[in-house]
Amino acid sequence: MQNFFCTDMPPNLKLIISNKNFIKFVETNNKLLHQMDEEKMIELAKAGNRKALSDLVRNYEKTVYNFAFKICRNQDKAENTMQETFLSMIKSLHQFDGNSKLSTWLYRIVANHCLMGYRKRKHKFVELDNDDAVVEDKYIADWDTLPFKSLENAELKKILDEAIKKLSPDYRIVFMLRDVEGLSTEETGKITELSVPAVKSRLHRARAFLRKEIDGALRK
Amino acid sequence: MNQEKVNCKSVMHHICESLGEDLQSEKCISIKEHLDNCPDCKSYFRSVEKTIDFYKKYNADMPEGAHVRLMSVLKLESIRK
Repeated sequence: MQNFFCTDMPPNLKLIISNKNFIKFVETNNKLLHQMDEEKMIELAKAGNRKALSDLVRNYEKTVYNFAFKICRNQDKAENTMQETFLSMIKSLHQFDGNSKLSTWLYRIVANHCLMGYRKRKHKFVELDNDDAVVEDKYIADWDTLPFKSLENAELKKILDEAIKKLSPDYRIVFMLRDVEGLSTEETGKITELSVPAVKSRLHRARAFLRKEIDGALRK
Repeated sequence: MNQEKVNCKSVMHHICESLGEDLQSEKCISIKEHLDNCPDCKSYFRSVEKTIDFYKKYNADMPEGAHVRLMSVLKLESIRK
């Protein structure tokens, strides 16, 4: 630690630097400990330890519920998807090889479950197979001038729900994984079994479509 | 979009990555030149960022009882935390 400091550096600055490094050190260690804990929990759960299995479920239930809600836009469907996802996890945990993160594996189960549900219902969604549906002739979308409502506002939530419900789940899942959950393009591709260019193309169209829908609704 | 959160470089990176272009490529540089001088494009990208931000913040809490029902479905209700 001493190597970071110049001899004439004020003591207060030394303290700040050493504190920052210490915080970084603690954060890195916590992350590693969490990973080790999780690996251990998975191994124990695979071996039939029900406490470890229960802990894994507790650790991920909110993430899974939230992602399911973001895709389904319905509380009952999100809860049902969460239950189905963890049932699948328990059934297939012995196949989990640890090459990807457990969260990535769970996202994939949620995505597959949602897609199957939509395919069964044969719901019609807006076609986004080419750019015509999202390209606008003129971008006069200066949202800075609009009186924005807070997300607590029910009307804005309704606008967001209606816009995303028009979007096909194939596009919705890519948008949610990449933009909302913050996964990388590569991780999104693995979960959705799409190539990196296909993820980028769907993401671009999903963003543009949602922006256009929200813009139209806000200007009504 | 919040101006503090997104800077021009990250916007450019987004656009150029979507196009499969390097930040220093000819196409990327010409896009940057256009963006610097086009208020419509600037406001468009701000609204795209705002769109993403809305969906990021729009979360739903698990309904009351959902945890208990989940543990019951998984037959893990007897396992204490």
